[in-house]
Order: sequence, then structure tokens, then C-alpha cells
Amino acid sequence: MNEEKRRILDLLAQGKITVDEAERLLAAIGEPAAETGTEAAGHRSWKYLRVQVEPGPGSEKGDRVNIRVPFKLIRAGLKFAAFIPQGAQGPINEALKEKGMNVDFSKISPQDLEDLIVNLDDLTVDVEGKDKVRIYCE
Amino acid sequence: MLPILVHFRIRKDGNRPFGFYFPVILIWIILAALLLVLLPFVLLAAALTWRRGPGRLLLLVYPMMASILWHLSGLHIETKNIENEILIDFQ
Repeated sequence: MNEEKRRILDLLAQGKITVDEAERLLAAIGEPAAETGTEAAGHRSWKYLRVQVEPGPGSEKGDRVNIRVPFKLIRAGLKFAAFIPQGAQGPINEALKEKGMNVDFSKISPQDLEDLIVNLDDLTVDVEGKDKVRIYCE
Repeated sequence: MLPILVHFRIRKDGNRPFGFYFPVILIWIILAALLLVLLPFVLLAAALTWRRGPGRLLLLVYPMMASILWHLSGLHIETKNIENEILIDFQ
């Protein structure tokens, strides 16, 4: 594997470039894009985003959460976000910030979702020994 | 695929859970009838506001709503703890 190809694949793994951009770069340096194409096809076959929260040993209430959201629903919802008036986006962002989510609602695009799908494998976060949060695609 | 049933289950304050299946397709039929009745007004509003911009967005409301409702199937939300439980599952 030459240095340029390795660099492109590193950028793809870090989420700094999309799958399409990686394909174009690989084609430009004369390398086959079969690997990334297969990976992208595998990611596109994922249907659901899953979020699971399991209580840890330090959990008081034993909260369990199991959420499964179809990716098509998320894509459709993101397009619907375009209907939100400009003046309402600021208060929405403020409300999200109060809940601890520092996200600019107006800047989330369908491409961000595609990038998330490509780079999200299986993420498990242990929250201070109380809860275990697992986010993955299936 | 448009969801036909939705499964609700609720348990509060440690009581016995209460669950039922609801034929959500009835809601879709009523919603479709309502949207059909409103369609002439939406088209008129879109035509009147076309130049200023909102008209185009108005025309997109119907297909976008249809897209969201169509893809609700498979949505599963379940939270539970010692005392309370909520389940919403579109099938």
C-alpha cells in the first residue's frame, strides 16, 4: 500500500473526507476504489440507527433506553428542517443548548448524516460508571 | 412502507403496564382526507407566494410529509426504569 493511498484512507477513517471524495482521490492517483466502494455499499445497506442505554452498577433508577430509528426517517426529517423559519432556528438552538446539546440546528445537512453513517461503527460510552450508552447502525 | 399498527405500552409509578395496539392506518386515512380538502388552498397560497419564495416550500410540504409518514415503520422507542415504562413501536 503506497503512502498516498494510506493517507487518503486515513482521512476517510477520520471523517475528514467523504466516501465520494476518497473515491475521486484514489482514482486521481490511479488506484482502484473497490475497497471504499464495497465499504460504502455496506454502510448504505444499514437501515436503522440504534441507541441503547443500559444501567451500570452505580445507576440509581436503572434507566434502560432502546431506540431504533430508520435512517430514511432521519433523512426525511432533515429535509423537513428546511421549513423552519430563520427566526425560529435561534430559539431552537438555545433550547437545545439548555438541554446540553451544543448543536447548530440550521447547519445539519443530509451529507452530515451520510458522513456519520460511514464513520459510525459501534460506539460505546461508559458514563461515569452509572450508564453504558451504545450507538450503532444495523 | 406505511406503518399500519402502533404498539403503545405505558407503566407509571410501578403499576401494572397498560398496552394496546392501535390501527394507525385510520389516522392516515383521516389525514389524507384532510390534506386533500386543504390542497386547493395550498395550491392557491403557493401560486400567490411563488415569486417571493415560500410558494415553492409550500408545494414541497405534501411530499415531505408523505415521506416522513411512509418511513415511520420500524421506529421503536422504549424507555424503562424501576417505576415507569413507555413503549412506542410503529409496525
